Amino acid sequence: MRSTPRDINAVHDPAAATSRIQIRGLGKYFDELCVFDDIDLDVGSAEVVTLVGPSGCGKTTLLRCIDGLVAPSTGEVRIDGAPVVEPPEGVAVVFQHFGLFPWKTVFRNVAYGLRMAGVSRRAIAERVPAFIELVGLRGFENSYPYQLSGGMQQRAGLARALAVEPKVLLMDEPFGALDAQTREVLQFELLRIWDTRPTSMVFVTHSIDEAVLMGDRVVVLKGRPSTVHQVIDVDLARPRTRATTTDPRFHELREQVWNLVMSTPDDHNSVER
Amino acid sequence: MTAAPATHVGSAAGRPARTRRPRLPYPVWVKGSTALVIFALWELFTHVFAPHYVARPTRVAAVIPEVVTSSEFLAALSGTVVPIVQGMVVAVVLGTVVGLAMGQVRWIDRSLKIYVYGLFALPMVAVLPLVTMWFGYTEGARLAIIVFAAFFPMALSMYDGSRSVSRDYLEVASSFRAGRLAVWFGVVLPASLPYVLAGFRLAAGRALIAAVVAEYLIGIEGLGFYILLNARSFRHNEAFVAVLALALFGILTLFLARWATRRWCPWYRQGAG
Repeated sequence: MRSTPRDINAVHDPAAATSRIQIRGLGKYFDELCVFDDIDLDVGSAEVVTLVGPSGCGKTTLLRCIDGLVAPSTGEVRIDGAPVVEPPEGVAVVFQHFGLFPWKTVFRNVAYGLRMAGVSRRAIAERVPAFIELVGLRGFENSYPYQLSGGMQQRAGLARALAVEPKVLLMDEPFGALDAQTREVLQFELLRIWDTRPTSMVFVTHSIDEAVLMGDRVVVLKGRPSTVHQVIDVDLARPRTRATTTDPRFHELREQVWNLVMSTPDDHNSVER
Repeated sequence: MTAAPATHVGSAAGRPARTRRPRLPYPVWVKGSTALVIFALWELFTHVFAPHYVARPTRVAAVIPEVVTSSEFLAALSGTVVPIVQGMVVAVVLGTVVGLAMGQVRWIDRSLKIYVYGLFALPMVAVLPLVTMWFGYTEGARLAIIVFAAFFPMALSMYDGSRSVSRDYLEVASSFRAGRLAVWFGVVLPASLPYVLAGFRLAAGRALIAAVVAEYLIGIEGLGFYILLNARSFRHNEAFVAVLALALFGILTLFLARWATRRWCPWYRQGAG
C-alpha cells in the first residue's frame, strides 16, 4: 500500500524538519473496529493538506485527533513539537454543521474563541468586527444563526475560527452541508482569505474537486482500516481563483485523485462499505 | 472577489424579512363562549337543585369588587403569592444547579439520582406533618414545603436537559478550550432552555398546590386558608373569588415565563408560535 514514491515518509521528507503538524503512527480503534491505522503525515506551516477517501474512512476522526478532541489509540500528533493531548492553543476548527450557538448573535459567536482565551471585552470589541468584515457578514453582527442562510452561518463559523488567529486551521467538511452554488462561492472566499493569511490547514472533504482546488497536497485515505494510500502534489499556482478550475492541469489532477479514490485496492478491501 | 460575498449575502438576507401570512388569533368569542356555556349551565343547575349558599356565577361576580378591595383578601393574596415567589426563586436556582451538576458529573449523578427521583415521586402532602414538626406551624413551614414541591421537578428537568445537550456544542466549546464553568453555564444551560421551561411550568404548578395545602393544614394566612374559612362559614361566593385568584395567578406565571422567553431568548423556537 505505502510503497509509492509519493508516500510521505518522515525520514526522507525535508519538510518534516519545519513541519507544523507531525503525525506519527496514528491509529484509532473503536472497540474491535479499527478506523485508521499507521498514519504518518506532516503539514508545513503554510501548507494546505486535503484529506479525501471513501465515506467512513475516518477522515473526520483523524481531524478530531489532530485537535485533541479524540484520543488516538496508537501513535501521536505533535504541533510545533508539542504532543497533542487536549485541544491545543492556536488550533481552530471549522465544523461541518457550523457549530454555532443558536443563543448567541453572530458577534458573540465570532467572539467565542477569544472570550474563552480570556481576551478582554475591549480587545474583543476591537478585533471581532474585522473578522466579521473579512467573511462578508457586516451588518449581521446582531443577527442570530436562525436568521441566516447556511452559507452565512458557515461564514460566521469561519470568522470564529479565524478570530483566534490560529496557526493551524482544521476544516471538517466545512462546505459539505451547503448547496453547490454557495459551496463554490465559499471555496473561493476561503482561498482569498487564506492568501492574505496563510496558515497550516488540514481540510477534510468528500469533494475531489474541492480537494484539488484547495490543497497543496491531496492525501488519499483508503482501505480497512484506512491508511495513507497515496499523496498527490498539487502543482497549481497560487493564488487560486475560478480560473484555476479551467486549467487543464486541474482536470488531470482531479482525474488522478478520482481514480485513486475509486480504484479497487489490491488487498481485497472494499472501497465503499 | 470582494463583490462575491456581497451578492451572496444580499440574496440570503431576504430570508428573515420574508414572513409567512400571520395566522389570525383564534377569535375571542370562541374561547369566551366556552366559558359562557359553562357559566350558564352552572347558574341553571345551582338555581334549580342547590341550596342558596352554593356559589353561583352571578353572585360570585357580584361579590368580586367587594372582596378584592377588602384588606382581608389582600392580606391573604400577598400571604400566598409572596412565599410562592420566594420559594420558586430558591427552587429554580438550586434545582437548576443541582440538575446541571447531576447531568455533567458522573459521581454526583450516581450519588443523587435515586434520591431525586424518589423525592420527586413522593407526594408533598406526605411530608407536611414532618415539616411542621421541624418548622412549627409557621410560615417557614409553608415556604419549606413550597421549595420541596418545586425543587425536584426543576432539578429533574434540568438533569434531562443537561444530559441531552448536543455533542456538537460541547465539541465546539472544548475545541475552543472552554473551562468547565464556561461549558456549564455558557453551553449546557442555554442549550437546555426547553427543559428549564418545562421544569418551571411543572414547578410553578406544584408550588401553588403546596402553598394552598400547607395553608389548609397549618392554618396560616393565605388564599388557601381564606378559601377554607369562607367555605366553612357558608360564604361560597367569597371563597370562589379566591379560587379564581389562584387560577389567575397560575396562568399569569405561565404567561410571564413565555413573555420572558420571547423577550430574552428570541432565538428559542425561532419566533414561531
